[in-house]
Amino acid sequence: MAERQELTGACKNFEQDLVLYFYQDCSRAEQQQVEAHLEGCPSCRVFLEELKSLLPATVKPDEPTPAFWQNYSREMRGKLDKRESHGWAGAILSLFRPWPVPALATAMVVALAVTLTFTKGQWFSDTQNKPELVEMASNADFFESLDLLDSMDLLEAVEGKEAQKSETGAQL
Amino acid sequence: MISRRPEEFGDEELVISAQQGERQAFEVLVERYKQKAYHIAFGFTRDREDAKDLSQEAFLHAFSHLKTFDRRSGFYTWFYRILVNLCLDFRRRKGRVSWESLDEKTEKGNGLEKIPNPGPSPDQAAMSGEISTRISAALATLPPKQRAVFLLKNNQGLSIGEIAAVMKSAEGTIKAHLHRAVMALRERLTELA
Repeated sequence: MAERQELTGACKNFEQDLVLYFYQDCSRAEQQQVEAHLEGCPSCRVFLEELKSLLPATVKPDEPTPAFWQNYSREMRGKLDKRESHGWAGAILSLFRPWPVPALATAMVVALAVTLTFTKGQWFSDTQNKPELVEMASNADFFESLDLLDSMDLLEAVEGKEAQKSETGAQL
Repeated sequence: MISRRPEEFGDEELVISAQQGERQAFEVLVERYKQKAYHIAFGFTRDREDAKDLSQEAFLHAFSHLKTFDRRSGFYTWFYRILVNLCLDFRRRKGRVSWESLDEKTEKGNGLEKIPNPGPSPDQAAMSGEISTRISAALATLPPKQRAVFLLKNNQGLSIGEIAAVMKSAEGTIKAHLHRAVMALRERLTELA
């Protein structure tokens, strides 16, 4: 295994400037500042030399043949044709994209809730024809008659007390 | 009146024509930028077929959304942004792929029957397969945004300002990404020197 080469450390506060200097992407003032520093700093000079030898090697050359580019352009025209002809179809299909479906479902639920709320009385107009509802209604009549009986008992009791009072009064 | 050929128009004139429905104007833009687009995508994918598909997808996306392009930035800035986003998305979809195997695939031409093999350039001939593989592996270890900034600077020669516009980031952030990418690559590649 190859022995690992020691890295030469550049001055920390100049590292970023040296990278930009290597790419020639710094202002004139920054460039002059870096050059002045390089004159007196051997480690930064070595660092810059390393960048010069390493970074160009990272550009992996890949130059396809003219036939590749002809094929590329032909395919691209075909894809553009397809995209253009499916423009109107895409507009229709867009209705079936994920977001309109829940939105439509929500709208339908809201509409149903509103309809049920405002037409509450009308939905049970045939109450009389439903046997369970008729039974419930007759039960209600029964409880009403029980209330009436209770009221009669009460009246009788009141009348009895009044009769007793009058008898007592007469005796006195 | 002397009429100019579409190839002689500037980007903005071509964009205006394309926005008015001139398909040919858009095709000129494709011809103008297809090689740069392909090379950016290749930097991310290291696979010719994927690079071709990604760059074509970027052109189709640009074509479909051309009416929303307000021309405040240059066409290439807008288009590169679309392309870089697709490339970053591609990396997320694919996850961490084995770059060694991709290089092998590219060199052997697996799955690329329709594409003729490019001839070797002098640089390619000089670079050994091992070095090429190690460089690919070193690039693959970079976080996606550092990798994007590094490729746009090192391979495409865009300025820091242009990269900031493409990536919608501050120039300081771009400089920091580039610095970190270079330092990480230097550390991994020094043993090759």
